[in-house]
Amino acid sequence: MGRVVGIDLGTTYSLVAYLDMTTGAPKCIVGPYGSALCPSVVSADADGTVVVGEAARRRLLTQPERTIYSVKRLMGRAASDLKDELKIFPFRIDPSSGNVIRVKLGQRVFTPPEVSSFILRELKSWAENFFGEPADRAVITVPAYFNDAQRQATKDAGKLAGLEVLRLVNEPTAAALAYGLHKKQRGHVAVYDFGGGTFDISILKLISTTEGDIYQVLSTNGDTHLGGDDIDNALMARARAEINERFGVNFEAHPESLQELRKALITAKHELSSADHASMRLKLPGSQVYTREFSRHEFDEIIRPIVERTMQPVRSALTDAKLKPSEMDEVVLVGGSTRIPLVRDTVQEYFGRAPHCELNPDEVVALGAAVQADILESGVKNMLLLDVTPLSLGVETMGGVVAKIIPRNSTIPASAQELFTTGVENQTAIDLHVLQGERELAADCRSLARFQLKVAPGPAGLARVEVKFLIDANGILQVSARDIRTGESQSIEVQPSYGLNDSEVERMLEESIEFAEQDFAQRQLIEARNEAATILKATRKTLVEESAGLAALSGEERRGIEEGVAQLEQAVKSEDYKLIRSRIDTLNQATTHLAELVMDGALQSALGGKNIDEV
Amino acid sequence: MSAAPSTSGDSAGTGTVSANCWNCQQPAKGAHFCPACGKIQPLSRGVSYFEFLGLPKKLKIDADALEQKFQTLSWKMHPDNFTRASESERNLSLERSSELNDAYRTLREPVTRLEYLLAQEGMRKEGTTKQQADPELLEEVFVLNEALDELREGRESGESPEQLRELREKLQEAQEQFQSELNKTDARLVETFGEWDKAIDRKEELEQKKERLEELMGEMNEILNRRSYIRNLVASVSKELEI
Repeated sequence: MGRVVGIDLGTTYSLVAYLDMTTGAPKCIVGPYGSALCPSVVSADADGTVVVGEAARRRLLTQPERTIYSVKRLMGRAASDLKDELKIFPFRIDPSSGNVIRVKLGQRVFTPPEVSSFILRELKSWAENFFGEPADRAVITVPAYFNDAQRQATKDAGKLAGLEVLRLVNEPTAAALAYGLHKKQRGHVAVYDFGGGTFDISILKLISTTEGDIYQVLSTNGDTHLGGDDIDNALMARARAEINERFGVNFEAHPESLQELRKALITAKHELSSADHASMRLKLPGSQVYTREFSRHEFDEIIRPIVERTMQPVRSALTDAKLKPSEMDEVVLVGGSTRIPLVRDTVQEYFGRAPHCELNPDEVVALGAAVQADILESGVKNMLLLDVTPLSLGVETMGGVVAKIIPRNSTIPASAQELFTTGVENQTAIDLHVLQGERELAADCRSLARFQLKVAPGPAGLARVEVKFLIDANGILQVSARDIRTGESQSIEVQPSYGLNDSEVERMLEESIEFAEQDFAQRQLIEARNEAATILKATRKTLVEESAGLAALSGEERRGIEEGVAQLEQAVKSEDYKLIRSRIDTLNQATTHLAELVMDGALQSALGGKNIDEV
Repeated sequence: MSAAPSTSGDSAGTGTVSANCWNCQQPAKGAHFCPACGKIQPLSRGVSYFEFLGLPKKLKIDADALEQKFQTLSWKMHPDNFTRASESERNLSLERSSELNDAYRTLREPVTRLEYLLAQEGMRKEGTTKQQADPELLEEVFVLNEALDELREGRESGESPEQLRELREKLQEAQEQFQSELNKTDARLVETFGEWDKAIDRKEELEQKKERLEELMGEMNEILNRRSYIRNLVASVSKELEI
């Protein structure tokens, strides 16, 4: 078995962390670009190679049509859910999208779990380079307010990346865990987690018991489509309107320039977290230049409605926990967007206390995930997380009304049993529709799945089937059914409303292995060609420059070298990296004697004619 | 969402749970963990939440004691403890810890606790319709509904907030009245909790005791219905006043 890691699969950035055994503290792993933050960006080449992270982010400017960011916003959703967002994002949704979105990157089509799996694979490779051994198990964090389909999509992504997902942990809870280790605090804690694409608020109670510390989540609330992206989009809307008005430029035909604009505005946003003013300059398509200065005050006014939107979930979470803002012992800020002064001020004013932000808000979730991964792995426990389900679970009843069977904020695992029977004579199946949400009508809640219970024909009301709904520790629903009269358990075929079914995941898993092989072959070919070019260049140079050495070779040896060069030149034109490798070896052997002669000659001239033995 | 794996669920779910430990065959009936080998045991059907938590079937519960019980059992049963156990033990942990959480959630709140107890005893009978008026409140409800209708009509015919102010005040007054009625109902409920617990403890003829408990349950059921009726009223007035 390999190593276990904690992964924060974020909207904007993703991170991987581990527990350092010598210090007992969690640590983030730094990637090849010297940062622990891996941009959650994926780009696909024309030849099928997939590029992830910083390298992919650079392509946002040069190849936006092959590159995707913020894929987390698409997890567990259907194309029909995204009408508004698609106006903002340059994602190209494939027409084959049904209840699972399919994104087109160049010629290839991917589902969001597949795109996320590329990010997870990249982080896995960071960890493996760091450990020098495989990492095959992980705790992955998700927004606390993620529904069943979004969680299942994340779990699928882990599987596709070749990771055993030990647990999905809610991001604010993971952050609390990291803070708890850091601060050894007790009492009520509010975690305000405002990230790149999602907002969560969790209210926790930290309890010391003789066995250890319990982190009990009392309530959680949030918005899975509210984050720094929305702030960027608000700035974009403002700037685009101005540019259109002043220069008559609209960006529809210039996706590259649009990404330049986004980049410049994000830089300005970051500057405004510490400075009172930020200015930006952008060369527009054509020769005009847009310059703009933002004051902190103007920025605050643009984003105020977005920051306000975070406060309704905060109030709801406190109401559900039956607590007042003043009863919080600690307030913790998590997520990059909490660097914005207006966000901090708003939180501070509401709770009447200065929030904690000692730990890096970008890293704290991954650190907590690493702690939980170690708890699950080592079996040594002095901490226990008790999380809740963010949304009520219900089944559709007569007239499209939802009967709630597991209320929101129930500690998980949680379950409910319901008895179903037939309504008409000789009915052979009972249809069930399971939903998540707080609204009264099924049409207003999120459909999770539909399934049928088969029953033997008979008088109405005779059949009695008990269905058990169980939300596991990942927040994912499992259903099982039992015939009350026979006591036999019944198998049920669940058709998820959104997301992939098991066979689709299996197929993708096979494909991903195939693609991985293809990608591997592609990389081998590139490397072999590079090596062949180097050796061919060196050989040709020697053949021209080293006439003395060459003269010392036999005619056969000379012909051997010329033959080897010709053969390798031929091989490089093929797609077969193994052939190129073997021809490289042949040429290397053919030139061994020549290389020795050249080396000796070089040495002798360098030593000024001394006998080598004298040195 | 997915269909649950059907590996160990069968033996645990069909009520044919053996009295002996599945692992060491020693007697373990009803225990969370085998007294002999310590292995987690399948859940027997028909065990009430009270029994699961080792509590008497009483309605007054010491909140702190319940919390402590919940915490202690959480440490032992939570799936975190079983990540390296066999698949069937992992399923038993999932089943038992979800039962623990269900019991805790249900018994923690007085109203859900009572509803559960009544349902267990087959005594929970909800009002025939949600809008079934409480005879004692008939007149007040009539006045309230009239005021609500007037407010809606007034709003639809475009009357100014100034014109509607009087109506709103009337509604607010009614709302306060019903809120105090709700508080009285809750107080009465707490009283019946005490009466129930006393009746449970009383040493008397079984038949007599049963009669007394059933009478109490009937009364509590009515109070619950009355309570949910008033709550709906208060909620609908609040909603109307928020507009």
